[in-house]
Amino acid sequence: MIYIVEDLINGILMGSIYGLTALGLTIIFGVLKVINFAHGSLLMVGMYVAYWAVSLSGLHPYLTLLLVVPVMYLFGYYLQDIVIKPIFKAERDVREPITVIIVTTGVWYILDNLTLLIFGPQYRSIQDNPLRGKMLEIGEMMISVPKLWGFFAAIITAGSVYWFLQKTRTGRAIRATSLDRDAASLMGIKQYRVYNIAFGIGTATAGIAGVTLVPFYNVFPTVGVLFDIKGFIIVVLGGLGSIGGAILGGIIIGVIESVGPQFMTATWTEAIVYGLFLLVLFAKPSGLFGVKYEW
Amino acid sequence: MTRQKLQISSLVLVGIITFGLPVVLRSPTYLHILILLYLYAYLTTSWNLVGGFAGVLPLGHAAFVGIGAYTSTILYLQYGISPWLGMIVGGVLAAIVGIIIGLPTFKMRGAYFALATIAFGEGIRVMVENIDYLGPFNLNGPRGLQIPPLNVGLTNLMFTNKEPYYYIILVMLVAVLALTYSISRSKLGYYLNAGGEEPEAAMSLGVNVARCKLIAMAMSSFLTALAGTFYAQFTLFIHPKSVISLDLSFEIAFIALIGGRGSIAGPVLGALLLRPVGDFSRIYFGATLPGLHLIIFGTVLVLVMIFQPRGLQEPLTRVYHKLLDRLIPVPAGTE
Repeated sequence: MIYIVEDLINGILMGSIYGLTALGLTIIFGVLKVINFAHGSLLMVGMYVAYWAVSLSGLHPYLTLLLVVPVMYLFGYYLQDIVIKPIFKAERDVREPITVIIVTTGVWYILDNLTLLIFGPQYRSIQDNPLRGKMLEIGEMMISVPKLWGFFAAIITAGSVYWFLQKTRTGRAIRATSLDRDAASLMGIKQYRVYNIAFGIGTATAGIAGVTLVPFYNVFPTVGVLFDIKGFIIVVLGGLGSIGGAILGGIIIGVIESVGPQFMTATWTEAIVYGLFLLVLFAKPSGLFGVKYEW
Repeated sequence: MTRQKLQISSLVLVGIITFGLPVVLRSPTYLHILILLYLYAYLTTSWNLVGGFAGVLPLGHAAFVGIGAYTSTILYLQYGISPWLGMIVGGVLAAIVGIIIGLPTFKMRGAYFALATIAFGEGIRVMVENIDYLGPFNLNGPRGLQIPPLNVGLTNLMFTNKEPYYYIILVMLVAVLALTYSISRSKLGYYLNAGGEEPEAAMSLGVNVARCKLIAMAMSSFLTALAGTFYAQFTLFIHPKSVISLDLSFEIAFIALIGGRGSIAGPVLGALLLRPVGDFSRIYFGATLPGLHLIIFGTVLVLVMIFQPRGLQEPLTRVYHKLLDRLIPVPAGTE
């Protein structure tokens, strides 16, 4: 019994980190109405930036947030500005442009393989890691400390993005654009600047997820693919465009993955996740929690 | 010489060259590359029936390749049934699966459809990786299946040299191109086009868009599965990561998109441009610059989508027509 509780807690912690990795996906979809297939690669880039920042400076891993967040924000901002914006301009009247999906897939291939070319296929992990293997003992339960921090990071990040969208002027402009981009443009909101900002924020959250993963996860060029597919599943489960839904969807996946092996071979849990995903897509495409657009 | 005569004679010339190539080209390496090129052109043309004509973005076609490859291989290994027959069985099975998947997914909009097909493809892969015995059939899980090259010959679709494979896949490619051509000129082709571009308008004119898409999906998955059997017999070794991989699904879509989806020449053009780039950069730079060909793929894809969203076939067709006009001017008054 205690094992199931332990698995449940670890599943919730890891799941919230999954949710954090998928947060940017849902933010970008909410505004641009585009599924960013390159999101996993952006996460991978964030992990590499964090890895090198820690390795070269010897700082505490979490201190690299100060570097990773602005770097990733600018990266996302200009990625959208230079690569994706031209497509939007060409397909102005299409509500969910399929071409953009294809372009982001191209960006995914470029980023992953450029990383492979530059840094090689090695699995890297931080040396002198103050968090490696750190466990919190509660009774007989062992809880991973870096995952616990990851949980807090997910909650805080989701909360602050939500607060930002609700309370600030820019946030209101983003919400207006996501609801009706033509009407928002008529109100004097610069549509493409909002897209850039939303893409930047989405990429920055991928950077935060990267920083929380680096202390206990290996860094390698295709690490993003693992989170990419998982991210798609999470955001659809939670409802595309919903911030809280992304975290909850992540927790569902995390719990299935950690509690499932108690009842079946571990690799089968993956099949269950895909099955659940297809079921939700067919039966309730707006997501499990029925939130169409939260903001 | 009239314009039509010129076009026919250039087609005949292309035919002679492609059929005569193995006589001149003795290197097995180059033949191997060409066989894979035709295979990808074939796969992409089959994909194009759904991805191009029906106007959606399926990203799970590797699942059908897998169904074809596994069905014929299991039938051959366990029951000694000729892969030619297994090919048909696999195709029919894939068509049924395609319809089952198409029924719910065709209702979805762009991105959701792409995601659903990814999940479908990956789901099939995970299942095959986890199942050793599906009833009486031995899938052998993640280790895959190996075909012992014992009874070589046409009946078993197994050869010791590459030439027969070359001709088989070439004939398959020509057949699928002819099929696509006739579909694009048929009622179904026009319905599909209309349904892909303006579904509401097409429906209001009485076109059963959903039914047309299902027919296209059934044909596409059937044809894709045939290529799966061919691949299994060509490499004599299949495993989930090779025939049902996400990379394969994406590469098929990439080739179509870069060449120009929805056109007949597009997939062939895409394969003709991208496959050699991939193969040669792997041969010459595989050790020093890993992943270079995928960087090239990605870059070409992004550039084509930005500057030629309808694919490379469009500007090339324009050049071709200009060339035709230059060679044989249209007589005044006939247009």
